[in-house]
Amino acid sequence: MDRSAILNLIYAAIDEVNPTLPPDRRIDKSPETQLFGRGSRLDSLGLVNLVVATEARLAESGLAVALADERAMSQKQSPFRTVETLCDYIALTLQEGELG
Amino acid sequence: MPIDFLLERFAACGDADAIVWNDRAYSYRWLLNRIRHWRHHIAETGVPEHANVALVADFSPNAAALLLALAGHGCVVLPMTPAISESKQEEYLALGECTWRVRIGADDEAGLEALGGESRHELFGMLKASGHPGLVLFSSGSTGKSKGVVHDFEQLLENYRKPRAALRTIAFLLFDHIGGINTMLHTLASGGCLIVADDRSPDGVLDAIARHRAELLPTSPTFLNLVLLSDAIRRHDLSSLKVIAYATEPMPETTLARLRELLPGVRFHQNYGLSEVGILRSKSESSDSLWVQVGGEGYETRVVDGVLQIKAQSAMLGYLNAPSPFTEDGWFVTGDVVERKGDYFRFLGRQSELINVGGEKVYPAEVENVVRTLENVAEAVVYGEKNPILGNIVCARVTLVEPEDRAAFTARLKQHCAAVLKRHQVPVKVEITAGPQHTDRFKKVRIP
Repeated sequence: MDRSAILNLIYAAIDEVNPTLPPDRRIDKSPETQLFGRGSRLDSLGLVNLVVATEARLAESGLAVALADERAMSQKQSPFRTVETLCDYIALTLQEGELG
Repeated sequence: MPIDFLLERFAACGDADAIVWNDRAYSYRWLLNRIRHWRHHIAETGVPEHANVALVADFSPNAAALLLALAGHGCVVLPMTPAISESKQEEYLALGECTWRVRIGADDEAGLEALGGESRHELFGMLKASGHPGLVLFSSGSTGKSKGVVHDFEQLLENYRKPRAALRTIAFLLFDHIGGINTMLHTLASGGCLIVADDRSPDGVLDAIARHRAELLPTSPTFLNLVLLSDAIRRHDLSSLKVIAYATEPMPETTLARLRELLPGVRFHQNYGLSEVGILRSKSESSDSLWVQVGGEGYETRVVDGVLQIKAQSAMLGYLNAPSPFTEDGWFVTGDVVERKGDYFRFLGRQSELINVGGEKVYPAEVENVVRTLENVAEAVVYGEKNPILGNIVCARVTLVEPEDRAAFTARLKQHCAAVLKRHQVPVKVEITAGPQHTDRFKKVRIP
């Protein structure tokens, strides 16, 4: 799966999650959108919803990937900073899966 | 003898129907003769008083007669249904230190056999010392290992000394379950008629009600929900039905409301029973209310840290294979979380099923109630799943009426829940399943 496909998949997850969030917590579909951390709109509950929605879409594409796990939590830099870093992390995880 | 008062009552009932089984009625006179026959046979065969006897049977005329005959002989009776696997039965026989076994076949013929060995557990020693018969039930909780619950059968029978209304009652809960045993003792001790429904599907049970003019159906909320889904109410004449009693799990508000609409002449009654303390008498605030008073003679209740505790005269002696669940001052900790309003309780769910989402408590039943009101939802089960960010997340497993796209349905469910529930209560993960979401005992399965 290439980066643009992964990005689209995250955007679809954003579309699923946004309507359930209070209006001031909704996020834009753009690589620069901050997800979690200083200045981000999502709280932990919003982030978990987005991550699980993304996982579900990956699973539908036949890719069983755990994004919120001990490994993600122990990365030097959180993969959940922006849409782009999440996209990178998914690409990396998929690549490792192929090699492993 | 502990069963004397029952025998006197059976004698007074004479030719009235005691049990309907395979569409044939058996009278109290028949039952009484049968109990005498089995008492004699048990003694002749050399079964010692206080022997631990496994009674492998479903509800049947001879199963009822043998249960009482064994109690009359002073035995410790361990009812088991033939539906459990061979290995499970072996496990129960060993755990219950059974020295004899009676098997009742589908033709109601009974065979008695010696298994050898002896019973050593101190709880059996206590029963022997008191000269009382025993009853052992295995709590096959939907999670975890079976626990052997040992009752003083004489003490338990005291609950049935006072006769209640004589009703024609469906034996729905099983023979090896506190609810099933209670249905049987309650019905027979009151001179009612026990109607054995061999087909336990919604249509099978409602058909038995119609054909045998049953007045009382003791069952579980999960089964009632299946009745609604199957639309079976329309297909049967339920004019004889007066009371539906439900227990074993919280009743979904939506199910109760719908049932009241379809069965306006029926009273709904919530019972509260546990293998460990027996069945408490309870009184609903009204038929459409989930608030109930529980207790009655021989029972006291209190709430500690939101969890219901019960002190009962007829409480079990203890577990065969687990530490005592009683507090030092003798209260049984039920594990049921309740809300309190004066004398009334509302059951929120099992403490063990409570989901802690980042420090906020979520009760599965509350979320299930909301999910169930969503269009196209047939059944919903809510449970928790570990999550490294929030500790736990709320998950929903849903059975649909018509197929629907997963992503579209998930979005719909989340929006519906977000409009009614607090944010941390809204299911994060949604799974659509085709299979049934209950055990073969019509109890909801809440495991991930």
